[in-house]
Amino acid sequence: MRNPWAQTGNYRTSYVQDTTIFATYREIVSVGVLLVALVLLPQFLERSQVLTLNFILIYAIAVLGLNITTGYAGLISVGQAAFMGVGAYTVALTAPYLPFYLTIPLGAAVAAVFGAVVGIPSLRVKHLYLALATLAFQEIFVWSVGRMPALAQGASIPVEMRNFLGYEIGFRNHNHFWYYVILFVLVLMVIAWRNLLRGKYGRALVAVRDNDRAADAMGMDPGRTKLMAFALGALYAGVAGGLLAYFQRSVVIEEFTLAKSVGFLAMAIVGGLGTVVGSLLGPAFIEYLRLSMERLSEWIKGNQAIQQLIPPGVDVASALLPLSFGLVIVLFLMFEPRGLYNWWRLVRSYFRTWPFKY
Amino acid sequence: MKRSVLLVGLTLLGLAQAQQTVSLVHSGAITGPTSDVGGPYAAAIEDYCKYANEQKLIPGYTLNCIVRDDQYQNPNAQRILEEALDRNKPAVYLGYATGAMLALKSLVQEVKLVTIPASAHIGLIDPPDNTYMFLPTSSYSEQVVALLEYIARQKKGAKVALVVNPSPFGRAVLDDARKAATQLGLSIVDVQEVGGNNLDNTALLRNLDSKGTEFIIHQNVAGPVANILKDAKKLGLDKKIKQLGAVYTGGNDLIRLAGDAAEGYLWASSYYTLDEDTPGMKLHRELAAKYNRGTLGQSHNYTAGLLAAAIAVETMKRALQRFGKIDNTTFYNALVGMNGPNSFNPGFVVKTANSPEIDFTKSEQTGGEGLRVLEVKGGKFVPITQPFTSTLFRKVHFGK
Repeated sequence: MRNPWAQTGNYRTSYVQDTTIFATYREIVSVGVLLVALVLLPQFLERSQVLTLNFILIYAIAVLGLNITTGYAGLISVGQAAFMGVGAYTVALTAPYLPFYLTIPLGAAVAAVFGAVVGIPSLRVKHLYLALATLAFQEIFVWSVGRMPALAQGASIPVEMRNFLGYEIGFRNHNHFWYYVILFVLVLMVIAWRNLLRGKYGRALVAVRDNDRAADAMGMDPGRTKLMAFALGALYAGVAGGLLAYFQRSVVIEEFTLAKSVGFLAMAIVGGLGTVVGSLLGPAFIEYLRLSMERLSEWIKGNQAIQQLIPPGVDVASALLPLSFGLVIVLFLMFEPRGLYNWWRLVRSYFRTWPFKY
Repeated sequence: MKRSVLLVGLTLLGLAQAQQTVSLVHSGAITGPTSDVGGPYAAAIEDYCKYANEQKLIPGYTLNCIVRDDQYQNPNAQRILEEALDRNKPAVYLGYATGAMLALKSLVQEVKLVTIPASAHIGLIDPPDNTYMFLPTSSYSEQVVALLEYIARQKKGAKVALVVNPSPFGRAVLDDARKAATQLGLSIVDVQEVGGNNLDNTALLRNLDSKGTEFIIHQNVAGPVANILKDAKKLGLDKKIKQLGAVYTGGNDLIRLAGDAAEGYLWASSYYTLDEDTPGMKLHRELAAKYNRGTLGQSHNYTAGLLAAAIAVETMKRALQRFGKIDNTTFYNALVGMNGPNSFNPGFVVKTANSPEIDFTKSEQTGGEGLRVLEVKGGKFVPITQPFTSTLFRKVHFGK
């Protein structure tokens, strides 16, 4: 028998082996090490850095959902922020009456229902037309919230949680408390994601994506599979929205606009469509890019010498962020369509086979 | 022995003369959406800080101004504020956008940090979590109600349309405007939302015209309003429908964008205009020239930034005089004592016969309550009313 610690590849000889979550012991250990590192990480960061980390983890949950809808099922969705908004507003309305461990699942369930409804056009239309249908939902959502007095017409609805099982939550520990909650939820969502995709439902998603008529001929139900993909993607977004509501202490419509949905797509593409690692790397990369561009634009704005080189009326600093976003997406699509995940895969392969060449 | 005494003496002298530092943090849209407002606003805060340090306006203290770009993103505003709270312990936060300020209300309430936002959304000073929120001038709602009062004085039973930005900033005024219109006997014939992508407004204007609209009140930024004014002129509706707007719709930016289509536009503003001869506007011209601000220094948003910074610096000075130290607690106590004989009159905004330029109490969280209606005549805004305060606003909003 092979030494399980010295495996250099996946030698799967049965269906059971093929559906395991971890292929090697080394994978189990590396995930364990990663989790320990993530648990310890806030101890080495400033409170405001933990805040950025929380946003990354919340966005990672939303991108995981998008990776079910778009990455696995191949159904383009530009409404992920709206689904997130459904979860957030459900939490905002129910938070005064229910604890957070009930409001967040409730928000996720409501978002999933919305997802299934929005997914109905996917039974008839594909590709760009389907993207337009989800775009319509995104716009309708923002428009509707702006006209609903019950949702403060898009202005702030406070979501307060000052105490959890006797543990006081305030300014000093708010970010850390929510970091651990979000991390816990993220781990659960990743496990659920992996479990879903290794089973028959996950394989149905791939089959329907690759050829829905062939999938139909093999006994799968493409319609139900597509609706499930939308519902599950929206469910993940709903969980992310609920967490965001508590973490930001309020719900404001500006967090759930089309720009955010496009941002999630960018995160999924840059990270690597249809991968867990990509769902984590994409948000981290985009947030890092945002912070870097913020510093660069502040530097440009504050540098008189550079300002004098720029023609009057041209705001280079304002253009930096959208320009860099667009450029990064185009470059990834052209040169690395498999995203950052592929770099991660290459690095991992290098070390797995070291000192031999891959 | 002599040397030790000399050393101790010099050390004590040095300590006595050492400058302490007090921090002020501002985050706003220096780049990104609404940076036409945020750019001059932030520049003014920077310039006033330099001026305050040069003039030693706070004796014994150096003002550390942290001016950051949040790119109109709520998460960025939250991060910048929390960074400042951790690293600099600011005495005051000069905020910016409506959405971010509404979202941060509970945080500033918890950390007891006085927040003076650029946004004049009335929800910021409404309960809950409103103790530490203070508006430098009248709210958007009060400005729009004042414009309705002006219309009612011009024509009884006039038909009015509201055109607002599709955001919490734009919608802030709707409830109070509807209530005020009812009380004034005006009819609101339509409410439309118009954002920054309104390249053609023919349908909007024809629709409003078909409803017999006589006045359009805008709650928006200058860009969309300029496009509507240009289209109204093109359609020949500029003489038929009078257009008016709240503070961020007007100023030199509107004249620059709309050109001669801006002629006749009415603007509710608390600020003096750049060519008026008040101490504040003299300082505005002086600082804009000194720091080479160019077009940024021509904007009334630069005046707004100067006012916010001036209130902050004056309050720090008073906190030091009254309590011997400057922190968020003494800042709050000094600010709510800025009334009656202790009101603040820097010459940036108008005062009325009944109210000073800037005054605050624990329950009155609006600084400058006076405003004027100005009209574009010959390519510049000219006041056409004396400074006044809305008589109806407090009744419709607070019920008193």
